[in-house]
Amino acid sequence: MKRWVVVALVMTFLVSLAIAQEDFPIKVKLRMMVAGDQNMVDFFQYEIAPEFEKIYPNVRVEVVGTGPGPAGSRQIIQQLEIERDSGKDKWDIDIAIVHEIGAVWALQEGLIRQYTDFLSAKRLAVRNTDEIALGVNVDGYVMPMFHSQTAIAYNPRYVKDPPKSYAELVEWVKKHPGKFGYNGIKHGASGISFVNGWVYWQSKHTDKFLNGPYDKKYEEDWPQIFAELKEFNKYVTMTSGNAGTLDMLNRGEIWMGPVWVDMFYTWMREGRMDPSIRIFIPAPGMPGQPMHYVIPLKAKNPDYALKLIEFVSSPKIQAKYIVERFNWYPAIGDDYVAPFLKKEVLESLYKDVKQKDLLEYGKPFPLTGYYEDILEAYEKWVEK
Amino acid sequence: MEEKIKSPMGFLLILPALSVLGLLYVFPLVRAVWSSFYDRAGNFTFGNYIKVFDLYTRDIIYSVLMTSATVGVVLAIGIVISSYLRFKDWKFLDYMYRLPLFIPFLIVGHAMRIFLAPHGTLNSLLTRMFGVEELPGISGSWTGLLFSFVWVMTPFATLIILGAFKALDPAYVEAAQNLGASKLRIVFDILIPLSGPSIMVAMILTFVRTISSLTIPLMVGPNKPNMITIDMMFRVNYFNDWGVANSLGVISYLIVMGLAIYYLRYMVAERGGIKG
Repeated sequence: MKRWVVVALVMTFLVSLAIAQEDFPIKVKLRMMVAGDQNMVDFFQYEIAPEFEKIYPNVRVEVVGTGPGPAGSRQIIQQLEIERDSGKDKWDIDIAIVHEIGAVWALQEGLIRQYTDFLSAKRLAVRNTDEIALGVNVDGYVMPMFHSQTAIAYNPRYVKDPPKSYAELVEWVKKHPGKFGYNGIKHGASGISFVNGWVYWQSKHTDKFLNGPYDKKYEEDWPQIFAELKEFNKYVTMTSGNAGTLDMLNRGEIWMGPVWVDMFYTWMREGRMDPSIRIFIPAPGMPGQPMHYVIPLKAKNPDYALKLIEFVSSPKIQAKYIVERFNWYPAIGDDYVAPFLKKEVLESLYKDVKQKDLLEYGKPFPLTGYYEDILEAYEKWVEK
Repeated sequence: MEEKIKSPMGFLLILPALSVLGLLYVFPLVRAVWSSFYDRAGNFTFGNYIKVFDLYTRDIIYSVLMTSATVGVVLAIGIVISSYLRFKDWKFLDYMYRLPLFIPFLIVGHAMRIFLAPHGTLNSLLTRMFGVEELPGISGSWTGLLFSFVWVMTPFATLIILGAFKALDPAYVEAAQNLGASKLRIVFDILIPLSGPSIMVAMILTFVRTISSLTIPLMVGPNKPNMITIDMMFRVNYFNDWGVANSLGVISYLIVMGLAIYYLRYMVAERGGIKG
């Protein structure tokens, strides 16, 4: 009996010590779920959360990562569906960061709320990614976190005069067999992006793929398009993934290949990339994508969620973290970010691909239906 | 009377283990088979299997061939190492062959990708040593994948086979040696036949581990054809298409199950033989 009393006393003492330690009692736990690579989870956990908690000491930010690719977004949506089906008044998730496809799924399932009317940073967005995602009107429901873009990297030591378009690339590849490399569609999304760009270039209905409507009749000429891609692949080295393409570029095994721009610059900054390698976006363009902030319909702390999104979208934070630390293209206009950036950082991000190139050649991914059909067409007509 | 009380008690005792098995293994298995017959809208269909055979027949054949080749090479190397260590106590080899056992698949995949690349570690070394330029790399091809699989899977199989070789009554081996049998003959006529069940176990475990491996084929394997696991991941990640992914899963269950049934029969016959 006595022992229990002692234990209870000690516990009370420890707990009161722990509470006394905190200057402010924690009142708000802001839970966010993040789809994407580990670097995105790190971004929130180690950079944004501490800064945000400095401004709002009563808030603790909890970050949960669900993994890369649409699968990561899928998991978040499933979590929200569980919350909805449970019939609870307050859901446990306050903010989610999802791919475009995730935002579309969430919107169609009625899982997220309109909030950007109250977001002043929304006025700084210059691309229309905050309005249209995969051909679906998402205006009001999403705010981009950053933009990522695919481009073709090349080694100027071997490639003096890089091709400027897909058409020129085909010519180039025939002259230099095996020196262009990409990773197909099952080993990472830079290859998928290249294939999408190929379809954009060849098809007469690119506009439909980007803005809808979805109809199989626009896919009539695909057998021909993919047959040509299969022919093209004969002159191409297949790499083992997004990182595989960068590795092979580094070792000089291939001279050209599609890469994610942010990954490319991150490797460059970490000294893992041959600094002479450059990038360009071939005409008529290659896809890129934003990641979107969404607020669940019945989030427990929507006010703080909004504050956090506002904070991360502010020009200063965009400059310091999104651009400088993580090498993403900002979610808001460059003119707003530029004053907060060192000149060399801004120049290195736009050294090869200029902002006008991004506006002209930075295409979105196609509508989900077309996107899936493109992948399956590749499996059917190119791989088989 | 005693008997009747005993059996529910026994059942209660194994209940925790049984429920874990049911929850973590049988339930997902049944669900996987179930959902392989439903499309994304939730209607009953054979469409998933039709799609599998339409798109992935070659990948399935490739997976089986790749895995069988791995098992073959692994067994050959495992038996050679085990035989050597059965007769000679070479400490260095004894430690070295176990090394890959302690390296995670992901690390192996990445290491092999760099090691076997056209301008990778291996070829750079060969170029320095012999001055041959521009050697072809085998990472990203089936040979590279086979090499990596064999490297990863051999220690485990060897561990089992060597254990069986060492557990055999040395009297048989000594008797054969006294009668003048060569070591090769002892291996083929005594060690291998008497260790049959263990070699079988090694074979089946290697097969299952290889066919279910995702990271190594993803990192080292060729871009096409792909192992079944990669196709499953692709279907889930990019299409959210659990139906086709599960159909592929069911097909790999069937492949493995065929082996398991053969193995169980063999074991039962073996046990029966010993008893009789």
